[in-house]
Amino acid sequence: MNNLRALGTRPWIWGFAAAALVWLAILAISGQGGGQTVSLALSLAPYLVIVGLGQMLVITAGPGNIDVSVAPIISLAGFVSVATAAATGSATAGIVAGIGVGLAVAVVSTVAILGLSVPPIIATLAAGLVASSVTLSLADGFAAVPDPGLRHLLNLRPAGVPLLAVAVAAVTALVVALLRRTVYGRSLIAVGQNRRAAERAGVPVARIIATTYLASGALAGLTGSLLAAYIAPSADLGTRYLLDSVAVVVIGGTLISGGRAVPVGVWGAALFFILLDGLVNLVGWSTAAQNLLKGGLVLLVLFLAGGGDRATGTPSLFRRRPRPAAATLTTTGENTHG
Amino acid sequence: MAELLAPALPTRARMRRTAPAAVSAVALVAMIAVCASLQSDVLTVAGLSLVLSATVPLVIAAQAQMTLMSVGDIDLGIGTFVGLVTVVAATSLVSSPVTGVLILLGLVAAYAVLGTLVHLRRVPSLIATLGASFVWLGLGLFILPTPGGTTPEWLAAFGTWQPAGFPAPLLPILLVAALVYLLTARSALGVRMRALGSNPVALERAGLRPLAARAIAYAAAGALGVLSGLVLASQTGGGDVSSASSYTLMTVAAVILGGGSFQGGGAVPWGVAIGGVTLGLVSVVLSLLDVPTTMQSAVQGLIVLAVLAGRVVVGKVLR
Repeated sequence: MNNLRALGTRPWIWGFAAAALVWLAILAISGQGGGQTVSLALSLAPYLVIVGLGQMLVITAGPGNIDVSVAPIISLAGFVSVATAAATGSATAGIVAGIGVGLAVAVVSTVAILGLSVPPIIATLAAGLVASSVTLSLADGFAAVPDPGLRHLLNLRPAGVPLLAVAVAAVTALVVALLRRTVYGRSLIAVGQNRRAAERAGVPVARIIATTYLASGALAGLTGSLLAAYIAPSADLGTRYLLDSVAVVVIGGTLISGGRAVPVGVWGAALFFILLDGLVNLVGWSTAAQNLLKGGLVLLVLFLAGGGDRATGTPSLFRRRPRPAAATLTTTGENTHG
Repeated sequence: MAELLAPALPTRARMRRTAPAAVSAVALVAMIAVCASLQSDVLTVAGLSLVLSATVPLVIAAQAQMTLMSVGDIDLGIGTFVGLVTVVAATSLVSSPVTGVLILLGLVAAYAVLGTLVHLRRVPSLIATLGASFVWLGLGLFILPTPGGTTPEWLAAFGTWQPAGFPAPLLPILLVAALVYLLTARSALGVRMRALGSNPVALERAGLRPLAARAIAYAAAGALGVLSGLVLASQTGGGDVSSASSYTLMTVAAVILGGGSFQGGGAVPWGVAIGGVTLGLVSVVLSLLDVPTTMQSAVQGLIVLAVLAGRVVVGKVLR
C-alpha cells in the first residue's frame, strides 16, 4: 500500500521543478516566447519519454536489471521502419515493423537472461551489438526517405500542443494504470522489491521479467520508428538515448534498486533534459559545455537528494521521510540478487 | 576413502571458482589457434605483439572496472574517462609535462572524490558514474574539440617498443594484473574492499571504515583508467575523447567473462586479463577471417553469449 501512495505523490515533483527552473532561465534570457519554448520542448520530449518508460519498467524489475540495447534498437528500428514504409507505402506498416525489430532484439536478450542466466547488462549488450551490426549493413547505401504523411503528423501542433505529446501522455497514463491495477504491474513491483519473496508468493518471476524486457524492446522500437520519421534514419540515431533514458528514469524518482516505478516522473525529467539542451543552445555554448552542464546537474541533483540506507541496499533518491519499517524489511534481501 | 576425499574437496571448490576464467581461457586458446591456422606468423614474437597490442588498453580498463565491481559498484563512465586521458596525453602532457601530470593526478583524485560522495550520499554508483561520464566527455571536448594532437616522445617510444624474445604487450598486461592481484586479493586493503562488496554491515561491525575502502577502490580505478588512457594514446598517437567509448560496456563484459560478478566481494584480476584479451582478440580473428567490419560487433556479442553459455554448462557439471 505504501508503494501506491509513494507512486502517486512525492517523487515526480523534482523533475518538473527542475524543468520549470530551466524554462524560467530561458524566459529570462530570451525575454520572449515562453509558450513557444514549452511547445517545442513538448514536441521533442515524447521520444525520450517512450524509451524512458520502457527503461523504467526494466529498472523496476530489481537490482541488476537494465536495458542497454535501447540505443541500437532505436537506430535499427529507424532504418527498418523507414524501409518498410517506403516499400509498402504505409507508415503504419513501418511503425509495426519498427516495434517488431525491438521485440526481436528483446527476445534475444530475454532468452540469454532467463535461459542462460546471463546478467541483463551483458545480455542486452550482446543483443544490442548484434542489432548495431545489422544497422551498419542496412545503413550502407540506404536511400529510402521517411514517410511524409507521418512526418507531417509528428509536426502537427494544434494550439501549440503537439499531437504526439498528447498520445504519449495517454500512453503514460496507460502505464500508470498498468502498474497500479493489473496483475502484471503489481507482480513487477513485487519482483523488484524482493525477487525471492515474490517467487515464494507464487509470482511467475520468469514470465514477468520476460514481459518487461519485451515491453522495453517494443517501446524502444516505437521510439526509433517515430524518431526516424521525425528526423531521418541514421546509424547513431539512438546513441544519446542510452544514457538519457537511464538518467530520466532516475531523475524522475524511480528507484534504481527496483520496486518503485514513477511513470509521470519520466515526463518531468525528459522535459528538464530537453529544455536544458534548449537553454545551452540559446546561450550559444559548445557541446563541451552542454555535456559538462548536463553531467554536473545530474551529479548535483543526485548528491543533494542523497540516497537510502546503504546497509539495507536500497539507495533511494528524493526520499524525504523515513520509510515505514515494513517497507524497509521487504527490501532487505535485494542485494543478494543479481 | 575419507583421506582421499579430504584433499580433493578444496580443489573442487577452487575449480568452481576458476571455472568461468577457464572457459574464457579455452575460448582464448581456440581463437589463437584459429589465428595461427589462418596466418602462421601469428605465433612468432612479432605476430603475437601485433595481435595482443590492441587489447592492452582494454585489459587495463577492465582491471579498473573489476576493482569497482569488487566493492559492489559499477563504472559506466570508464570509457569516456579513458578517452579524456588520451586527450590530456595528446595536449597538456606534450606542451607542459608538469601541468599534464597534475591534471592526470587531479583526475585520479576526482575519482576518489566521486567514490567518497557515492558513499557519503548513499547514491547508486551506476547513476553517479553515468553522470560523471557526461562530465568527462564535456572536459575532453573542451580541451580538444576534434581528435588530434601528438603524444609525448616517451609515450610514443613505449608504443613502438619491440623487445627481443617476448611479445611486448604481455608485459603491461601481466604487470597490471599482478599489481591489481596484490592490491585486491593479497593486501589487507583488498580484504576490506571485498568485504565492502560482500557484506558492508560486517565490515562496519568489525570496526573498520567502509568509506576508506570505497574511496581507495575508486582511486585505484581512476589510476588504472589513467594508465589505460596513456597506453591507448601511445598506440593511436593522438587524443580522441570518444575513442574508447565502447570500453564502458566491454570492460563489464570482460569482468563477467573473467569470473567476476555484479554482487561484489570477489576479485579476479587474472580472469579479467584473460577475459579482456579474449574480447579484444575477437576483432583480430574476424579481420583475419575476412568478416566485414559491419558484422564484427555482432560476432563479438555472440561470442560473449557463447562463452557465458559454456560457463552455465560447466557450472552445472561441477555442481
